[in-house]
Amino acid sequence: MLEIKNLTKIYDDGTVALKNVSFTVPDGEFLVIIGLSGSGKSTLLRCINRLIEPTEGQVIWNGVDVTPLKGEELRQYRREIGMIFQHFNLVKRSSVLKNVMSGRLGYAKTLPSMIGKFSVEDQQKAKKTIERLNIQDQVNKRADELSGGQQQRVGIARALMQDPKMILADEPVASLDPVLAHSILSNLERLNQEDKITIICSLHYLDLVQRYASRVIGLRLGEIVYEGTKAQIMKLTDEEFKEIYGEEAERIGGNLIGTVKEG
Amino acid sequence: MAKKQSAQKEPQKPSLVPPIIASILSAIIPGLGQMLARAFKRGLTILLSFVTIAGLLAWRIYLEGRRYTDIKTIILKAFQFSPILRFVFILLIVLYLWIILDAYLTARKSNKGSRAYGSGLVFFILAVFFLLGWQIGDINMGEFFSQAGEALPTMGRLLWPWEKAVTRPEEILIISTTVQSPCTDVEYPTGEIKEDEPYLVTSPTCGNPTESDGTAGTEFTLIGGNFNPGQEVEIWWSDPIGNEFRQRQSGEYVKVMPDANGDFEIKVIMPYRLIPPVAGEGPKIWEVQGRQVQSVGKAQLSEELTLSVEKMIETIIIGMMATLFGVILAIPISFLAARNLMSQNFLTKSIYYFVRTVLNIVRSIEPLIWAIIATIIVGLGPFAGILALTLHSIAALAKMYSEAIEGIDQGPIEAVQATGANWFQTIVYAVIPQIVPPFISFTIYRWDINIRMSTVIGFVGGGGIGFLLQQWIRLLDYKSAGIAVWFITITVMILDNVSAEIREKYN
Repeated sequence: MLEIKNLTKIYDDGTVALKNVSFTVPDGEFLVIIGLSGSGKSTLLRCINRLIEPTEGQVIWNGVDVTPLKGEELRQYRREIGMIFQHFNLVKRSSVLKNVMSGRLGYAKTLPSMIGKFSVEDQQKAKKTIERLNIQDQVNKRADELSGGQQQRVGIARALMQDPKMILADEPVASLDPVLAHSILSNLERLNQEDKITIICSLHYLDLVQRYASRVIGLRLGEIVYEGTKAQIMKLTDEEFKEIYGEEAERIGGNLIGTVKEG
Repeated sequence: MAKKQSAQKEPQKPSLVPPIIASILSAIIPGLGQMLARAFKRGLTILLSFVTIAGLLAWRIYLEGRRYTDIKTIILKAFQFSPILRFVFILLIVLYLWIILDAYLTARKSNKGSRAYGSGLVFFILAVFFLLGWQIGDINMGEFFSQAGEALPTMGRLLWPWEKAVTRPEEILIISTTVQSPCTDVEYPTGEIKEDEPYLVTSPTCGNPTESDGTAGTEFTLIGGNFNPGQEVEIWWSDPIGNEFRQRQSGEYVKVMPDANGDFEIKVIMPYRLIPPVAGEGPKIWEVQGRQVQSVGKAQLSEELTLSVEKMIETIIIGMMATLFGVILAIPISFLAARNLMSQNFLTKSIYYFVRTVLNIVRSIEPLIWAIIATIIVGLGPFAGILALTLHSIAALAKMYSEAIEGIDQGPIEAVQATGANWFQTIVYAVIPQIVPPFISFTIYRWDINIRMSTVIGFVGGGGIGFLLQQWIRLLDYKSAGIAVWFITITVMILDNVSAEIREKYN
């Protein structure tokens, strides 16, 4: 279980990205965070795995406050939490296999991993994961030779190599077309249901939110402005959605979305 | 783009002065009218161009007519020597009038709220600049075409120098006979005519050499026999103190082609020779020789060819060593010159700007100039070339490497960190794969440039094939120079392809 308590993040330039955010994520939940670009979604996700240091507040993972963790302890915490990104964040010039294997770095011994040596179990695990995400034909290609959907599946494979208890997904489908978006989110849904991995995912499209989320949190200017269960989301109207997003929300092609700014 | 759009949206303010006044102002200071007509940049461009053209024209006129004192003669003579200047002068007057007209039109357009000024004036200014450039650059296409023919033989030797790539060992056949000078009462004996050996005889057997005042010496008829047929015979003299020299007549070396039997006959005039007192008094004996140069034995690679190969290897080594040293030193420096790594505090920023400035200065000085400086320190030779190229490579590579470092994508670093990887693993998995390919690509590119540069660095004493090439060109030995040029061309072509191939792989 993940508990966020009074989390605040103020950047060096004075931007307040998160203001006193608190919520709890029970194990096995598919939590979707919605909100405009700049509303603090990315900051929130990165504060959870400490890629960004919170200014104040606590992140409690299975009863342990992870905010003061350092060094080896922090890395052991991080390896339990996978992360996937809007722009996939693969090492473009490295092979798919190498990108997938990098997900195992938290478990591997430093020296052998630096020369690319992993244990037999790790290699078998990589093989299974790659087959599971149906990218076995691409293993030896360079990551940037793959299509967007394939790259995101490599991203998921990398996260799965961590044996994660939770996956943080920072707008995982914002760079993909709607068909691929469904394919990627179905993958995440399967992991959520079959492997009981908690998912925290930021999304833009209302229909995707309604289809996949088991709970929704709405962020606006760093504050939680909405919390809804599955049942409540299904009844969410355009007007309410618009309120969460603020005035900038508009209707495109039948789906109400927040204005997606570049980046 | 955005800037341009906002400039278009902004309405044009009316001219500060009426069109007529703008014209008059531009007549006093060309461009002033346009400036006040709210076309400041246009006016400034016009003013600077006009002043520059007028200044350049005055300078060229002064240069052409500098032998004269009064201004009027200087100008007239300059126009006479260089008709282009006269033409430019006329165009300058046209330009002046056009600027006045343009000031009027510009002011009127501004008043109408339009910014669409004509571009004809700009093209006209450019045309005048190019015309002046033609005169300053001393461009003479006529000479180029009329003289090209005379350069053809030289070009031919440069393009096909391969006769000089092979030599045969030579053996010289020298057959001589003697004459007496001056004649005495006793008749000097002639040489012996032999049956089956080469021989040389003269008639008469005594005479006087050419005098220093130009009085021609005695004419001798040389009769030779049993020489190698079909091979030229050179005529040489050996004076009474044993100095050998080749017979010249009206500027040309004297040579004769023996007939099918190896016989020949030629008339030569006894040459002038200053005989030092050490030779003693009285009649002296001169020797006259018929010489045949024979190639014997197998063909061998010429010295020019082997020297070229040796120096070409040296050249490639210079380029490689300079690249190696450049890479080793540029890598650490590049981290100091990467903005994203050096923007933490005032100290690191200062280091960044300092390193960048030094790199820029070092890079802006050509390797040839560095080589001259290096030869002052370490003397002529390949080491000077290596030093010069290393210095330039460090500066160029450090800049390119630092740009590769600045271009690192933070995303993969973040992603690898998120997996629980430690610092070393993050560097190996997320940073190095991003910087190594561009580093390799830049290094290969630099290696390519360094070898190209090392071919010419010898011109200033930096070792390598350039040194030979420069020597041979100065000696007008275009065939040997041609061999060097061929080697350079082939090496650079191969290198070009290899380097492009490798870089393609890492892009």
